[in-house]
This record gives sequence, structure tokens and C-alpha cells, in this order.
Amino acid sequence: MSLGFVNPLLVWGALAAAVPIAIHLFFRRRPRPTPFPAIDFILRARRETERRLRLRKVLLFAARTLLLAAVALALARPRLETPGAAAAAAPRGPSATVIVLDASGSMRYRLDGRPLFERARADALGALQALSAEEPATAVICGSAPPFAEPPSFDRAAVRRVLERAEAEAAHADLGACVNAAARALSTPEAQGAAGKRIVIATDLAASAWRLDVPPAAIETPQGRARPDVAVLDAARGAPLPNAAVLGLEAEPDPAAGPRGYRITAQLANHGKEPLVDVPLQLVVGAGKEARTVIRAFANVPAGGAAKKQLSYAFPAGGPAALSVALPQDALREDDARSLALVVPRTVKVLVVDGAPSPVRFRDEATFVESALASAASPVRPTLVDAEALQAQDLAAFDVVFLLNVRSPAAKAGDLTRFVEQGGGLFVALGDQVDPEEWTKDMGPLLPMPLHVVKTAAERGASGARAARFGDVDFDHPALSVFGGDAREGLLGVRTFRYVLAKPAARGPAPRILATFDDGAPALVEGRRGKGRVLLFTSSADRDWTDWPIRTSFLPAMQRFAGWLAGGLDDRRDAPTAIGTARAVRLEEGEALAALVGPDGRERRTSELEREGLREVRGGFEVVPREPGLWQVKVRAGGQERLAPRLAFAVAPDPRESDTRRLEPAELTAWFGGAAHATVEGEARASRGEEVPLWSILLVMGVALFLVEGLLLA
Amino acid sequence: MPEARRPLLDPAALARLGNLRLRVRSIAEGILTGLHRSPHHGQSVEFAEHKEYAPGDEIKHIDWKAYGKFDKYYVKRFEQETNLRAYLVVDASGSMGYRGHPDRMSKLETASALAATLAYLLFRQQDAAGLVLVQGAVAGAVPPRASASHLGPIVEALEAARPEGGTRLAAAVDWIVEHAPRRSSVLVFSDLLDPDEKVLRKIAQLGLRKHDVTLFHVLDPAELEFPFDDPTLFLSMEDGRQVEAHGRDVRKGYLEVMGRWLAEVRRTAAEADIDYALCRTDRPPDEVLLPFLARRERSAA
Repeated sequence: MSLGFVNPLLVWGALAAAVPIAIHLFFRRRPRPTPFPAIDFILRARRETERRLRLRKVLLFAARTLLLAAVALALARPRLETPGAAAAAAPRGPSATVIVLDASGSMRYRLDGRPLFERARADALGALQALSAEEPATAVICGSAPPFAEPPSFDRAAVRRVLERAEAEAAHADLGACVNAAARALSTPEAQGAAGKRIVIATDLAASAWRLDVPPAAIETPQGRARPDVAVLDAARGAPLPNAAVLGLEAEPDPAAGPRGYRITAQLANHGKEPLVDVPLQLVVGAGKEARTVIRAFANVPAGGAAKKQLSYAFPAGGPAALSVALPQDALREDDARSLALVVPRTVKVLVVDGAPSPVRFRDEATFVESALASAASPVRPTLVDAEALQAQDLAAFDVVFLLNVRSPAAKAGDLTRFVEQGGGLFVALGDQVDPEEWTKDMGPLLPMPLHVVKTAAERGASGARAARFGDVDFDHPALSVFGGDAREGLLGVRTFRYVLAKPAARGPAPRILATFDDGAPALVEGRRGKGRVLLFTSSADRDWTDWPIRTSFLPAMQRFAGWLAGGLDDRRDAPTAIGTARAVRLEEGEALAALVGPDGRERRTSELEREGLREVRGGFEVVPREPGLWQVKVRAGGQERLAPRLAFAVAPDPRESDTRRLEPAELTAWFGGAAHATVEGEARASRGEEVPLWSILLVMGVALFLVEGLLLA
Repeated sequence: MPEARRPLLDPAALARLGNLRLRVRSIAEGILTGLHRSPHHGQSVEFAEHKEYAPGDEIKHIDWKAYGKFDKYYVKRFEQETNLRAYLVVDASGSMGYRGHPDRMSKLETASALAATLAYLLFRQQDAAGLVLVQGAVAGAVPPRASASHLGPIVEALEAARPEGGTRLAAAVDWIVEHAPRRSSVLVFSDLLDPDEKVLRKIAQLGLRKHDVTLFHVLDPAELEFPFDDPTLFLSMEDGRQVEAHGRDVRKGYLEVMGRWLAEVRRTAAEADIDYALCRTDRPPDEVLLPFLARRERSAA
């Protein structure tokens, strides 16, 4: 272990300790002769206090001398170095040098108001300037792009330009890969002329950027593989980097929140040593100038931990929407908010045709369906008519038609077919009014499967009879995906006593069977006709043939069927695009991309986007957004430019960059091959196994000596 | 004390008066305007002056001859018989020449002013006053007389005195013991910086001989407060000794020694029944003289 200095030239300042001696010797004030009568008393007083005065004088002299020496030495920043570290820091002749500048998202962290990236760039430029004229150099900017380094050269201006033009990105960077690229550059023939091989890494020491479970970078030399000398310049100067982040954001439909209600779940993380208590959390709905805060909440996140915060919000209208959850801005702003683009289901207008009306409510065919569709949180608005009134209805005013136990809609078959082919939805439930053969004849083209005969699985109330239950259910289908966990029991427990058997379709597109009965007979069958869909339930929608209407699964199932048939469940939520990855946007016919509006509100025209890698793909374009947040798309259609809310998309920051926990310098040094090969500069005390730097001890000593001097003078 | 009287007794103003006679007049006038005029004149056989009769005056003292001449009642007044003999012992050693500030009088000037003023007041009430100047030995003496014209030799002797030599108050005590045949009043004006530490006990011997001793301890404020902050070479004023010291370093110790010494002086004076008064050269002389005179008046009554 040896003593070293960060500013060795300032050690000369220790000569300031000689100032009190010089003053004592050369600038001593001559005593003024003064006649005084009571000289005996002065002599007596001196005799009594002489020893104390002499001791005080010596102490005062020592305090002043040591005070000046301590301050001067503290300015020289002394430090204890292990022999290995000292050897690594010591110059070993000209070295080919690669400067790796960390440009990852965490480098946007602002320490004392200045981004770490700016500090790191200054460090990198300083390291470049410190190189001697015989040392070739190159630089690697470690961002989201695959790292690449030119072979080291003597063109310092070019390296300087590369460093000066670099910008910190919001994306993740793999520093290990960048160091490997640096090692490859040092393995090139151009670098073999120099005696040493050095890699200087300017980084924030964020642990997420390193993978220490793989072998460290090595240089290929004619003599074999060799470890480079590595100097890590800590841009954070040893300071901890606490950071709070919104790591994830999800929005799920929540019927409890009312029509178009969503349960929004934000995943929060706290990468600091202090817990976050009652930290404000905002839910912002909308984008750009229309963004407004709709919920203000508070969250608690334990130190070094994560927490989930759930918020409920009901959108006032259906259609494309955007929402963000934001924490107060901290030193790393990019991850303080997360956005989400979603399509809120529109109100679905449903025509319910009651094939067996009854004045007794529970005997009415459509009672249960109408109640399910018209519940408080439902986006569906049902209109109830009987079979005779169907003839007079204008189907164009509805999104979906429910035919419940209708005897024969032959007179309306043409209208229904056109309605479905133009994008409408049709739900068919059967019952005792339905004659399967007649139905198949009249509605054959619309039905997903032709109807065959009525099957009675069991008579209601008969002892020992076993009703049919749902067998295979396609829970991956969007209409049935809400049934998960215990909720499935409500569906699988349904008992059906009678149903219509269906025959395989002879021609047309193959139907999709959503559910079967336990005997394998189709229960729910979906078919596509033109732009629309048809869903066939082979039993009844009232309690005549099945007890499904009184089961808990009936209400959500009917609402989901209505939404599905209306096309409202297709692309309801848009998963955020990860930062640094390509985002494809589909445009409609007649539309062209005019610009993208970034999260900062700045409009980026196509010319600028093309420079950043905008690519036209079939039916749209593909772009790699560089900033996290909500991006809006401005399209040109009919000679006019307008924002297209349906095309807005969210870009999520990389959660790895939110993790600002720092790597122990000793760990990194050991990975690079120990103190003989690597040093960590800055306030990386741990690399040298010291708890307190010497200069701070000297400063404390200086202050103490100053106080002692004051006490002695008092 | 009314402020109007202050200009006469302002130490700085007195210091500007170079003439001791003027100082004496100024101090005496200041003091006399402060004293209450007594309605009682002494009883004596020697006629002094006439005074217009006022109710309360003795009828037997009405001068009927004067009544015959002026047709007014005049009362005869008589000179009091001289019954006090005072020795003014003034220390004129080198240390008494100390002047802590140019605007102040030296200790010897202060002592001389006090002594001369008291001599004047004594003569004014027909008492006898003499002077003993002491340095290493008795440097001069003026025998006591009760005549007002005797103030001249005393003032001249004080004005001629120069502060020099050592202090030996014992010589003055011996002189008084030898020359004062009967009970007298001895007024000592000194800084008491005598090499002989038992000088107070020597002075106290005068009390044993029935002399009434009053000690005016004359000190400069600089001696009491030691206002030196810098490195100083202190030179003795009575011999060749000198000592270099940093004023700030020794102040505390000096003030402790000085405090102990003053306490010792006061205690010894009280034990020996010596009337003691500390006279600072920066304070008006009446602060010392008025209480002294008041005490004298009380003891005489």
C-alpha cells in the first residue's frame, strides 16, 4: 500500500506549513519600549503563567503549521493505493487506447443538475487529452446500436469529434459488448505497434449494464491472448444514484368501474436506500394539448423494492385513447412516466329479437339476455323487439342482432345476410320455436354449421338424469378470455338439458368451435360471413333448455359476445413498443404519413424521420422511436393533415436502465483481472478497500486545528 | 453632583492647566461650591468680621458700637482657634511620573493637585499644613504653618518636584516621627510601589503615635486595567530593569496580581485604621476629596 496524489503538483503547497516559521523568524514585530511603574507585577505574572504560556505558544505554533499543511495536502487529494492499483495507474510506455463512452439511458441521470453523460464525456475527453503523442486512440459510443470501434489511429481530432457528437440515448446498452468491441479494435494490426493496450471506460457503473458472468474481454496479440489495462472513470464520483421509476403499466377492463371502465395497474420501483412514502402519482389521460390529469393518488414503495398501484378509471367515450401514469420527476426523468395507447370499446347497439315473448318476466325468452346486455357497466345498448317487429327494423342502425328462439326469420334473411356481410354481427340462440330443418333451409348461408336435430341430454327434474356440460372451451378466444381461474367454474358448471346438434358445414369457410358439450357436440360456433361474424349457441338463451342464464358466467359472456360480434375486441390494447425497437404503423388507404409528434411535443417531419431510419413497409411505415413516451401520428389525407388518434403508440423505456444500482468497483476490478489490470477512478473507494479518503480526513483535521487555534487565542 | 460643576474638575481640563496654582484654585472652587455652607462658625476669642444680625444669632454677640454707627444690628464673628496640624506627604519617586495617556495628568501631578488643594482648604479653615516630599529619602520638607500665605512655599515645592529615584516612604515616616511633636494629621499621596513590601505597616506606626493617617493611593488607569495588546518592552521607571512581554499573554496574570495587591493594601489599611482612598488619575479629584472632607467634618463634629 502506498501513498498517491490525485493532484501531485499541489503537494508543493505543503510548503505553506513553513509560513508560520518564516513569520516567526523574519517578520516578528519589535516590541515597543514602554516605561511602566508596576513592572514587578508583570514579572510576577509572567513567573506564574510562564509554563502555561510557553505550552500555549508551542501548541499555537504547531496548530498553525499543521493547519496549513493539512489544507495544502488535502487539496492535493492524497489516497492510499494498493501496489497493484498503483502499478496499473502508473504509465507503462505508449499504449493503444480505446475510449468507451457509456451512452445508455441511465447516463441521462442528472447528478447535481448535470447529466452523468456530460461528466462522462468530459472524463473521456480528459483521458484523450492526457494521452501522449505516441499513443494511438479510438472511441466506442456505447448506445443501443451494435458497438463498433475503428482501429486505433493518431487522428485525435476524429476521436474527439466522435466523443463530442455522442448523445445519451434512452435505450439500454451492453457495456460488456462495447468492451469486447474495444478489445477487438485493440487486436487489429494497427494497434499492435504500441507496447500497451488500454481501455478507458467512462460510465456511471450501473450494474445493469454489465454481465460479469461471462469471461472478460481479451486482446488477441501475436503472443496470444492478453488482458488489456482497463481504467474505469466513474462519472458519478462514487455517489449513490437513487431512482424511482414506473416500470410497467397495464390497463384491463374493469366492469366495477362502470361503462368503459378500466383497472390501471402501474408497477413502481424504487432503486434507492430510502423508502418512498406517499409519493404523488398521477394518471393522465389524452395526448398532447388534450392531456389532462384525471386521478391524483399516492403510493408507497419500499427502499430497493417494487410496488403495484391500481387505479380505476372510466373513459367518458369509446375509441382510441392514451393514458400515462407519472411519478414526480426525479434525477432520471425518462422512466418517471409510462404511457399506454388503447382502444376503448364503443357503445354497441344490439337488436334483441325475442322469439318467445311472455308477460311473465322469467318465462320471457329475452329477459336474461336483455338484463345481461343492459347492466350498468355494459357498453352495450340493447333494443328489444319481438319476431314480428323484426320485419320493420332497419338493421343498419345496429351493430349486432341477437335472434333468440325466433321461429323463422326467412322474410328478413336477405337483410340479415347483407347486414352481416357488411360488418354486422349476428348471435343466434335456439329453443323450442326453432325448427332446425327450416332454419337451415332459410338461414343456411348465414349459419356457421347447419342444424340437424334437437337432442335431449336429460329431462329437467328427472332423477338420475345427467345434463350436458361444456366440454372443450377455447379460452384463448377473445370473447372467452375473461374467464380465467375461478371464473371458469361459472362457465364449466353450466347444465344444459337440451340442444340442437349441428352438422358439419359442406362448403364455405370452416367454422370455429368456441365450446362443445361434453359429448362433443358443438355448443358455441363462430363463423365469418363477409366482414361480419355469426355466433351460434345451440341451446336456448332462457332457462327452458339450460341453466346458463342464471350462472355468473352468463352476463360477461353475453357482453363479450356482443363486443366481439361488433368488432370491438379486436385490437383493444396496444402493447407499448420497447425503446430502440422498430414500430410498424398501418395506414388506411388514402392516408400518408406527414409527421410524428414525439413525447416532447416536437413534430418530426418525414425528412427528419428518414434520416433516423424511417422505412416504408407494405401498408404503412416502420420507425425506431428514440424517446420513451406517447407518440402521435399525423397523417395526410385528402390534402389535409390531421392527428390520427387510432395510430398513436406508446414507447416504453428499458426497465434495465431504471435500475441505477451501482456496481462495486472492487467487483469490476476483479472481473477485469484484479488491481494489476484495472482501476476505477473517481470516488471509488471500495476498489482500494478504504472507507474514508485521506483528503477528507485532512480537511477534518484542518477544521479541528482551526478550532484549536481559535480556542488558544481566546 | 450637578453637571455645571464638572468643567472645573474634569481631569482632562485640569491636565491642560499647566500651573498648579490654577489647578488648586479650580479644584477648590469646585469643591467649595459642592460643600454645604455651614451656619455655625467656630467659637474663638479673636474677632474676625461683622455679619448682619439674623434671627437665631446670639444676642450677646451684637456689636452695639456698630449699631450706634450704622443704626443696624451687626453680630461679631470670631476666628476659630487653630487645632489641626497636617503633614502632606507626597511621593515624588520615578514611578509617580507615569502618565498612561497624554490627556491625563501624571500620578505626581495628580498627587500634587490633591495635596495643594487640601493645603488650601486647610489654610482656609485656619489649620496648619506642611509638606514632605519623599523619593529614595526625604527630598524636601515645608514645616506646617496656619497662615494662608504658607500655601505659596508648599505649591512652589510641589511644582519644583521632579519624579525620579526610588520609593522609600519609610524615610517620610521616620521624618514625621522625628519632627511632629504632637498629634497630627498625616496625608500620604503615593502609588505605594515601594520595594519595601511592609511599607504600609511602617506607615501604620504613625497611628500608634496618635497621628491621624489618610492614604491617597494614586494610580493610573493603565496600571489598573493593563490595556496592552502587543509585544511590549516594559521599562522600569525607578531602576534599570526591563521585561519583554506580550500584553495579551500577561494581562490576565497581571490583573490577578494587581487585584491581590490592592485587596492586601485595603485590608492592611483597614486593620491599621488608616483612612484609604484610591485616586485614579482619570477621575475628577472631587470624587476623592469630597468624601474625605465629609468624613473629616463628621469626625470633627
